[in-house]
Amino acid sequence: MLSNDIITSLLIIGLGAVIMMLVAAFTRLSNLILSFTTMGIILIAITFQIPYLGQLFAIEIQPELFNHMLRFDSFASLFNMIFLVGAFLMISTGRAFMQATKFFIPETFSLILFALFSMMVLSMSNELLTAFIALESASVAVYILVGLNRYNIKASEALFKYLLLGSFSGAFFLLGIAFVYAEVGSTHLGDIKTYIALHEQYDLLIIGGILMMITVMFKISAVPFQAWTLDVYDGASLPITAFMAGTFKIAIFSIALRIFLVDYHGLSHIFEPLLVLGAVVTIIGGSLLTLAQQNIKRMLAASSIVHSGYLMIALASSGTDNVSAAPAIIFYLVAYFLSAIGAFGILSYLRQWDTDRTTYDDFKGFAHQNPLLAAMMTVFMLSFAGFPSTIGFLGKFYIFTSAIESGLTWLAVLGVLAAFVSIYYYFKVIAMMYFYPPVKQYNLAFSFTPVVIGIVALAVLWGGIGTGLITYLPGANVIIETAQDSILSLGL
Amino acid sequence: MENILSLLIFLPILSAVFLYLAPLNVKIIRYASFTVTLFTAALSLWMYTHFEASEQMQFVEQYAWIKTYGISYHVGIDGISLIIVMMTNLIMPLLYLSFWHLNRKGYWLNLLIVHGGLTGAALSLDLILFYLFWETMLLPIFFLIGMFGRDNKDFMSMKFTLYTIFGSLLMLISILYLGYSSYEQAQVWSFSISDLQTLHLDQRTTFLLFASFIFAFSIKIPLFPFHTWLPQTYAAAPIGAIVIMSALMAKLGVYAIWRFVFTLFETLSFEFSGFFVSLGLFGMIYFGIAAVKQVELKRLFAYSSASHLSLVVMGIFAFNYYAHLGAFYMIASHALSSAALFMMLGMIYKRTQNLHIQALGGIVHHAPVFSAFFGFFALSIVGIPLTGGFVSELLLIIGAFKYNIIIGFFAATTLLVAILFIFNLMQKVLYGPKRLKEFSELRLYELFSLIPLALLILAMGIFPSYFIDKVKATAQQHTVQEIHHVK
Repeated sequence: MLSNDIITSLLIIGLGAVIMMLVAAFTRLSNLILSFTTMGIILIAITFQIPYLGQLFAIEIQPELFNHMLRFDSFASLFNMIFLVGAFLMISTGRAFMQATKFFIPETFSLILFALFSMMVLSMSNELLTAFIALESASVAVYILVGLNRYNIKASEALFKYLLLGSFSGAFFLLGIAFVYAEVGSTHLGDIKTYIALHEQYDLLIIGGILMMITVMFKISAVPFQAWTLDVYDGASLPITAFMAGTFKIAIFSIALRIFLVDYHGLSHIFEPLLVLGAVVTIIGGSLLTLAQQNIKRMLAASSIVHSGYLMIALASSGTDNVSAAPAIIFYLVAYFLSAIGAFGILSYLRQWDTDRTTYDDFKGFAHQNPLLAAMMTVFMLSFAGFPSTIGFLGKFYIFTSAIESGLTWLAVLGVLAAFVSIYYYFKVIAMMYFYPPVKQYNLAFSFTPVVIGIVALAVLWGGIGTGLITYLPGANVIIETAQDSILSLGL
Repeated sequence: MENILSLLIFLPILSAVFLYLAPLNVKIIRYASFTVTLFTAALSLWMYTHFEASEQMQFVEQYAWIKTYGISYHVGIDGISLIIVMMTNLIMPLLYLSFWHLNRKGYWLNLLIVHGGLTGAALSLDLILFYLFWETMLLPIFFLIGMFGRDNKDFMSMKFTLYTIFGSLLMLISILYLGYSSYEQAQVWSFSISDLQTLHLDQRTTFLLFASFIFAFSIKIPLFPFHTWLPQTYAAAPIGAIVIMSALMAKLGVYAIWRFVFTLFETLSFEFSGFFVSLGLFGMIYFGIAAVKQVELKRLFAYSSASHLSLVVMGIFAFNYYAHLGAFYMIASHALSSAALFMMLGMIYKRTQNLHIQALGGIVHHAPVFSAFFGFFALSIVGIPLTGGFVSELLLIIGAFKYNIIIGFFAATTLLVAILFIFNLMQKVLYGPKRLKEFSELRLYELFSLIPLALLILAMGIFPSYFIDKVKATAQQHTVQEIHHVK
């Protein structure tokens, strides 16, 4: 019964992308209409996705037709949901920005949908080549989105930096697949898993795994592959930065989790030291980099590296016998995604005329002019910092407990110290907003952006304190349970 | 009234959120928040009368929160949390009253949030829930200092926040470790202190966990040598925040040692009691001498209150009934006295814009009623007879003697270090040369904010048994006898 309509939302997004491209080619519609159409398409896709949420299942999509390459399970459905909601929120919070700027050409929306389509395929792919193609096509769409602002030298620089380094690192993934194929003779995740279980020697497989890991590390901007992050996040226009930080990064984690939890699970003892080392340098390097930033947009970009570091702690802990690390990653991704979308949404809403307003000085006295938006920004900053009563706290709670569970208590302590440092740079934003007299005047255009951001802020709070007492609202418990189900579905 | 504790916690917080969002006039917000605090004060009085004098947790509420990890919303009240909750709820409305002239929305609302946070932290019986309130109440203080403070307020609000959060975060790791140990040993995640009490941990781990808890709480109290944030923060902070920090938050640190450290690591705490008793005694003298040298009133009382809190810590670590009772009694009486004194400092600052001892002098000639109250509260800090401070110091000295005769001797003789700076202060500020040209008498609302505190301090000094009865049973916990009995 499920298999018939299982990819409906995928098809809707794919068809939507093509249609939007044709529409953009033959008509000249305003980007108001186009963005609302895109949001409509995404909403329809979301409604088709909702029934799968919270269910435990795993189905191969048309196994004969696609040769077992696509697998739709609770894991993929949860990630698809995050991507769809992420894209929806990105467009809706970016409305004011798109209105104020000229470079959001009609093709943008088609590109967003293409990226979305590829990410959805990525989270479903059960085979390495499919994953690579999905990853690259999503990346290509994102490369173009980064360079959208042709009139800005920073954006063009960001585009080329990201394009060159990104495709270079993508090649590692391909090479890794070649090694895996040389050893196993197949690129299906299931086959690799059985091969590991049956054999003693698998050197090529390990090399292949490490090569693939390099690509993943690059895409999630782990140190020492982080060099592109600041300039690219900074050069991209704000809604696109939100899309990259909030959604694209999660897509990378979806495939990383699938590869390392399913086929490489038997080898986790080999990868653990590497991941531990990666987590340590990422956390320390990221924190230092973030402390040096003078601009909120760059600060958020740099701090996303630290958040990758936290996630790597959990990735390192997700070895044998630890059942709580992988759900912790998913929960943390949800928490980070909500906060990032909200924070970048506010930044993009504040853009005035033709300049971003993202320096610390721009935020001085913001609370006196716009108390509600300032309160929302405060909520997002607290959530980033892992302050209790926000979803970010529970995210860190799950990650650190999973590290302790795996005996990596010292790594949890390092994470806590990084969280301590992060208090400084996140609270600095709050201090700027509340403790200084206003410097700049904001004439904010009327749009429904603040309403959407407000809803996200409420979600961030509810995710941190939500009780199960109110029966018709899912509490804080539900997200972690869904995450656990989705990890379970990988093994089905 | 089953949910009275939740009401006490969430009514202030929710009203703060509501008042923040509602587009109301500042005056209406002031009236509304004052009414809320009056209401919670009435509720807490009702609770006080219905509180049975036993060591049992009462008015307990427990709901599952995050089932997967065994975290629950678990609150309850016993003797020592009763003291903290009562003090919070009684001082809050008076604090509002003493600042009746202020027209600052942020001030009122942040106080409401910290009110709820303090109550929540004092009532939580689940470590994660406690941590949530413990951290959350920091945020309003951060805002209060940064928005309404003076001098280098931006730096100090950040320093204070980072300083205290550093301690709490290390505690967080210990909390997580305890929860995991419960999972390891009993196959169930749990963060409830009654479950975690029965864990078996090796010596090194226990010590590390113990140390991180103590570290977090010592910063808040503050104990020597973690007091370096104290003088500057007090100097920069607005009076409202100082009253909260000195009269309530610092006491919460002592409470947390009792509730969490003593419950979870009773044997280890007992083994280290000698160290902490000495540290408390040393802190009392050290901060007392530091207070003597201060020329600014806020800093002076900052050290003075640190000195008394060190004494309280000495009391709870003496592990005997009298010392415990004395510590409890001092928590209450010092909360009242220091709240009153800091409120009066606010009044002085409002009139003179200056809190340097040199600039003040001869207040008694302008405002005799003001001086009478100020003198009374200052003397109640020293512990003159008929005040609550006297009873608590008496009990503490008896407790110290029971613990060890040398400690008792030192405690009894050095307790009077407070006299040095209090008398000096009264002489220079109240009497002294008539430096101030004018100093207006207490306004009516200021008078009304001080009278209840004065009456309560007197009542505590004259009818101590009425108050002691409620906490007697709790004070008998964690005593040497009890520990040996269990063994």
